[in-house]
Amino acid sequence: MSAQESLETEHGPRPGTTLEPAAGTAEIDINAPGVTRFDLVREGARRDGIEIVVYEPRVEPGSRLERRTERSVALLFALAGLAGAAFIVAYIWWPWEYPGTELNAFHLQRFYTPVLGVTLGLALFLLGAAIITWVKKLLPHEVAIEQRHDGPSAEEDQRITAATLTNVVDESGIMRRPLLKGAIALGALPLAVIAAAPIIGGLIRDPHRPLPEMEAAGLDLSPQDHTGWHPALNDGNPVRLVHENGTPIRPADVAVAGQVTVFPGIPRGTTNYYADSPALLIHLRQEHADELRGQLYELNEGSMYGNYVAYSKICTHAGCPPSLYEQQTNMLLCPCHQSQFEILNNARPVFGPATRSLAMLPLALDDEGYFVAGTVNDAGELVGSDFKVPVGPSYWER
Amino acid sequence: MSTTTEPGPRAKAERPSRLAHAGRNADERLQAASPLRTLLNKVFPDHWSFLLGEVALWSFVVLLLTGTFLTLFFDPSMEHIVYEGSYTALRGVEMSAAYASTLHISFDVRGGLFIRQMHHWAALLFLAAIVVHLLRIFFTGAFRKPREMNWVIGVLLFWLAFLLGFTGYSLPDDALSGTGLRIAHAIMLAVPVIGTWLASSLFDGPFPGEVIIFRVYIAHVFILPLLTLGLIGAHLALVFKQKHTQWAGPGRTNTNVVGERMVPRYAAKMVAFFLVVFATIALLAGLFQINPVWLFGPYKAAVVSVASQPDWYVMFLEGSTRLFPAWETRFSLFGEHFTLSPLFWPGVVLPGVLTVLMLAYPFLEQRITKDNRIHNLLQRPRDVPVRTGLGAMAVTFFVILTISGANDVVAKSFDISLNAMTWAGRIGLIILPPLAYYITHRVCLGLQQHDREVLAHGVETGIIKRMPDGRFVEVHQPLGTDLEYTGWAVPKKMNRLGALAPAVRGFFVPIERPAAPPEVAPPAPNGHDDTGTGEHTRTDVERR
Amino acid sequence: MTSETPRRRPRGRGRRRLSRAGRLLAALLLVGGLYTAFAPGLAAQDTPLSPTAAEGKALYDVSCITCHGRNAQGVEGRGPSLIGVGEAAVEFQVGTGRMPMARQEAQAPDKPPLWEGEELERNTAALAAYIQELGGGPEMPPGTNLSAGGDPGIGGELYRINCSSCHAYSGGGGALSSGAYAPGLGEATDREIWAAMVSGPQNMPVFGDNQLTPQEKADVIAFINYLQDDGDPGGVFTLGRLGPSTEGVAIFLVGITALLFASLWIAGKS
Repeated sequence: MSAQESLETEHGPRPGTTLEPAAGTAEIDINAPGVTRFDLVREGARRDGIEIVVYEPRVEPGSRLERRTERSVALLFALAGLAGAAFIVAYIWWPWEYPGTELNAFHLQRFYTPVLGVTLGLALFLLGAAIITWVKKLLPHEVAIEQRHDGPSAEEDQRITAATLTNVVDESGIMRRPLLKGAIALGALPLAVIAAAPIIGGLIRDPHRPLPEMEAAGLDLSPQDHTGWHPALNDGNPVRLVHENGTPIRPADVAVAGQVTVFPGIPRGTTNYYADSPALLIHLRQEHADELRGQLYELNEGSMYGNYVAYSKICTHAGCPPSLYEQQTNMLLCPCHQSQFEILNNARPVFGPATRSLAMLPLALDDEGYFVAGTVNDAGELVGSDFKVPVGPSYWER
Repeated sequence: MSTTTEPGPRAKAERPSRLAHAGRNADERLQAASPLRTLLNKVFPDHWSFLLGEVALWSFVVLLLTGTFLTLFFDPSMEHIVYEGSYTALRGVEMSAAYASTLHISFDVRGGLFIRQMHHWAALLFLAAIVVHLLRIFFTGAFRKPREMNWVIGVLLFWLAFLLGFTGYSLPDDALSGTGLRIAHAIMLAVPVIGTWLASSLFDGPFPGEVIIFRVYIAHVFILPLLTLGLIGAHLALVFKQKHTQWAGPGRTNTNVVGERMVPRYAAKMVAFFLVVFATIALLAGLFQINPVWLFGPYKAAVVSVASQPDWYVMFLEGSTRLFPAWETRFSLFGEHFTLSPLFWPGVVLPGVLTVLMLAYPFLEQRITKDNRIHNLLQRPRDVPVRTGLGAMAVTFFVILTISGANDVVAKSFDISLNAMTWAGRIGLIILPPLAYYITHRVCLGLQQHDREVLAHGVETGIIKRMPDGRFVEVHQPLGTDLEYTGWAVPKKMNRLGALAPAVRGFFVPIERPAAPPEVAPPAPNGHDDTGTGEHTRTDVERR
Repeated sequence: MTSETPRRRPRGRGRRRLSRAGRLLAALLLVGGLYTAFAPGLAAQDTPLSPTAAEGKALYDVSCITCHGRNAQGVEGRGPSLIGVGEAAVEFQVGTGRMPMARQEAQAPDKPPLWEGEELERNTAALAAYIQELGGGPEMPPGTNLSAGGDPGIGGELYRINCSSCHAYSGGGGALSSGAYAPGLGEATDREIWAAMVSGPQNMPVFGDNQLTPQEKADVIAFINYLQDDGDPGGVFTLGRLGPSTEGVAIFLVGITALLFASLWIAGKS
């Protein structure tokens, strides 16, 4: 602020509104006597191809308007400082620890983040406003015109650079020496591969490589082609349906028109390690179960147990769980892309982008009366069974 | 500043010399005097629409600042731990270390939640500013020669920001971000031929595996920011080298830049704007709760919520995936069966086509219009009805997809059937963009015509005269004779001509007052014209 | 999370109009009740009804019989049979105003109940007793604080695996197919949640006591209470806890708009 006044008094005449004729376009002798600082500024601009056309004070120096503006800028700075101090105070002393319990009581902590946001936001905004006001109200108004130098370089330069480049190529003789060309290619190519190899090679992983558990069971089965329900993961025995907490499920556990998310009862079966395994076990009403039984796909024959049916909880579209079970309309809705599956028709998609029915998990009961994934064969034996088709989204080699 | 040193005579005498000494010392080593002056003198045109890109730049700076803070506490590990922190409703729940550390930042680090929310809001703002800035560049033709390369860099920056946003969204490993990763995994699977290999390589095995959060983390805090910083540098360097475009107007030609020098005004405004952007982000972060991960719980494959959405900039892909009909192609080659997933078209092809179209647009336009000249003056959207129409078409397309990406939320909030929303989106996507093109095109032509009318007949004065024969006519105030349209706003109201007081005051005062041009006529001898600049306008337009 | 205060929140919309309607209804009920009491042959139960249930039957025959038929046998195309739905279903459907329904549609929206205050409680209890005695079904535990002893941590896990797919992580509810929706849980009381779980109203599946034990139900309710009260530490405005969709709207309506004004200010000449 005072710097401006000093500019006025100490360093020659302050630039007026209208500049000298041709000033700023003609070179001036910077060593000539009587050259002001602003003359130097303009000469510098001129050397950069810039003409300062207008340079006028916003306010009359020393005027009442100037003092008023000065005060308001100063006030803005001061308020910014105040808000900043408030931020620091709030940051340190405002109670911030989440209460955890007794939430319906009034807690100052609830306002910790808002208080931080408001104080910091105000501090920054007021600081910005102070600068903007300063620039717009106190700094001299100016219009400068800079010439562009578009287009290509001078033809001379183009030629010289081209010559330099072609000279390099010619001197190296690559064009004339096909042997070298070949040799360079031969020598450099492996180097390029070396650069790429650890990145690509290290990352590549065969999608068909079996899980360690499968390998231990002696089966060479790609992870896409089985889930945690595969009996091989349970020493060849049918895998039990369990709750998320690992407890097995009896038919009586699911009320009519009820549903429960089931996981394979194997080690890590309820974790994301077997992310394709979760299924939705539904207890249908009698008449609905009859309807479904009447139109089961051949593939799904024998997969229901009584009025119970279990569908894969992994959408055939993008892999979200289509688990919005509507027990009256008998729909399964996927919340990610709104595919709708008809429960009473083999979970066939009837709306939305999904193209395939949800896989049905074959249901049976084991000796203890718990649900397992399996079917009873003609001989009356319980045989463990996975989903009969790959679950989840489509892929190329499916 | 000036308040810290006492402005006594001695101080005044010593200070410059000490500074000068330091300056000389620096220059002896760097020879910076001349390049520094050039930098300080650089002229920037001043228009509000030129600040949109700056919003993106400054929000990126805020992202770097807040992001660095978050890395100090975030643990990008999928190791299973049991949460024992402050948030009671998740105590005793098994979760990944990544999610637990996000909760730790939110509840057990002083001010951590605030910084986390700033980071997320800054990310949303970064993308929003990029898109708005991109639209400004498109509609004003700022991508034309010689700036095609910068357009290409800008489009790449959009995708980098997109990836930065998506990876950041995935990091907390909450249920919502895990669902997002699951869909990303499914989209990777949908890539023909290499899909399963791609997905398996990135996730190191079946979904979700145990490394994906860490890999996403490295991409999010190292690879992508580095690329983004590099491209932002190139973007700004090109703006510097090629100089900013400007609107047409008095004194402004294709071969000059009219504006303010870097110092003091432009630089000060930039600093101030940074502070304002930062302030906006801080206020948003303090007042608006964003991404309350503690409500979502840890990601589990069997867990999902209705209204699962990605952040807004991914929502157009979500929408395209929701709207796309259930088309899956199965075919056999050499006895093997192959499948094109229904995700392939909306999830792989659509973003690819959009990117290619965007990258190619400047070159396509150049080829079609056969316009190979250099353009430094911006075009008013109305003057290029076809491009403006195409832009309106693209915006409509994007907006419909984005709304459809949240169509279940819309359906629930406004009590509309979900199925009806989907169908409205499908039909709208086909019908509305051409309609938008047609309407925009007509509006542009209408505005053009009105400009020409005003130039030919003058401004409507609002004065109605009755002729002797009883007719009523409105008196027009002619602007001049034989005026040609120069690509600049035509005054259409008397107050814009200075004939009346401004109809709007203060904040809404017209932004672009005619700038004072270089004087062609000899100046007045006394040379103290304090009031204004209007007179010089006309001569300069003619000179151009 | 064991607040001992009753969690029921009074519903006060259109109070006056309702009470007038209530008086009218009461008069109608009285007439209807008298008619039922004196008309021979209408009471066709095998076992005599308890006094409360008899009162409920009187109410039933006035308000519910049109759609659910005589003796709650259901009317084809209008309303389902209520045999076996139990008192929980009655408490939920009548207590939240879902029944009587204004018209047949995809959703039975909650609205101000027919009665209010004590009258609502008494009449609902009477109807519940009638339906319970008529066909049995899920019963309700006593008391208003059903989350006592519930662990919100365990409840949260159960909520996310069973409930969040329709009611959303934050309990905001969400759209189902063809115009149906799952309502938000922000205002739900302990009893309403419990009743909904055991009775499976509308499209909601049933969560019987074998699947979610009473303790687990208390856990779930404790978690929902926690959701309602968690205080939104992240800000004054929660954006409806709708997640990214409203956040996206906010960044344009608030963030970009504010900065556009700032740009106009900074670049403005005056």
